Amino acid sequence: MNPTDASDTIVKEIAIKASAERIFEALTDPEQRLQWWGAEGQYRGTQMESDLRPGGKWMTRGIGRGGKHFTVRGEYRAIERPRLLVFTWLPDWDENALETLVRFDLDEKDGVTLLRLTHSGLASESARDHHRGWPQVLSWLQAYVEEKR
Amino acid sequence: MVTIKRSQRDAVFRAIADPTRREILALLRAGRRTVGEIAANFSTSRPAISKHLRLLRSAGLVVTDQHGTARICELNAKPLRAINNWLREYEAFWNENLRSLKKYVEENR
Repeated sequence: MNPTDASDTIVKEIAIKASAERIFEALTDPEQRLQWWGAEGQYRGTQMESDLRPGGKWMTRGIGRGGKHFTVRGEYRAIERPRLLVFTWLPDWDENALETLVRFDLDEKDGVTLLRLTHSGLASESARDHHRGWPQVLSWLQAYVEEKR
Repeated sequence: MVTIKRSQRDAVFRAIADPTRREILALLRAGRRTVGEIAANFSTSRPAISKHLRLLRSAGLVVTDQHGTARICELNAKPLRAINNWLREYEAFWNENLRSLKKYVEENR
């Protein structure tokens, strides 16, 4: 396990053959977002509301496995169309969940856009006030687990 | 969506949310310690340290063993895997969604 695995941040990159503007639209337009948000046979979005401005709220409802309804909501924190979108993320399926932060960076070059997703603050859930020590704690404790195997 | 073993993960999160408890875990990482040895590292009262240790024990992060009059504490980092697994599920979640976004945008330009 490398040290980044122990952090409380998830970073994902994907190259998409489309303009940053096109992707930004698919991310933020409620109708379009519902077209792709989900995983086949597992869950899908059914409703989205979005007030696309800094401080504006967004909300997605959906149906998960076994017909269970879920809601994720949050607030837009930064919008720099079409290269940056930052919003908070608060799922209702986890009663102790606190807001985490989702960030999309879009970098377009020659008709291909590199999209980078950063989901941060995940481990701060119940540790909001002490969250600074978290990644370190996880990393050394995980190192310990690895050693012990 | 993201499924989780909530109770186990929550107990671990709670246990580790406190700086004193994190320090206790750091101490135990270096090796087994008696309750007295642990308490000696803190200005907080011994009953307070015992309370922290109880919470760490109930989360499964610390196991204790009675040796005569001394109680020996040992770190058990295994429950942290619950948190690691949970993060992995979020990874899978984003993998699926980004793949789906790519497919949608490339097919509907």
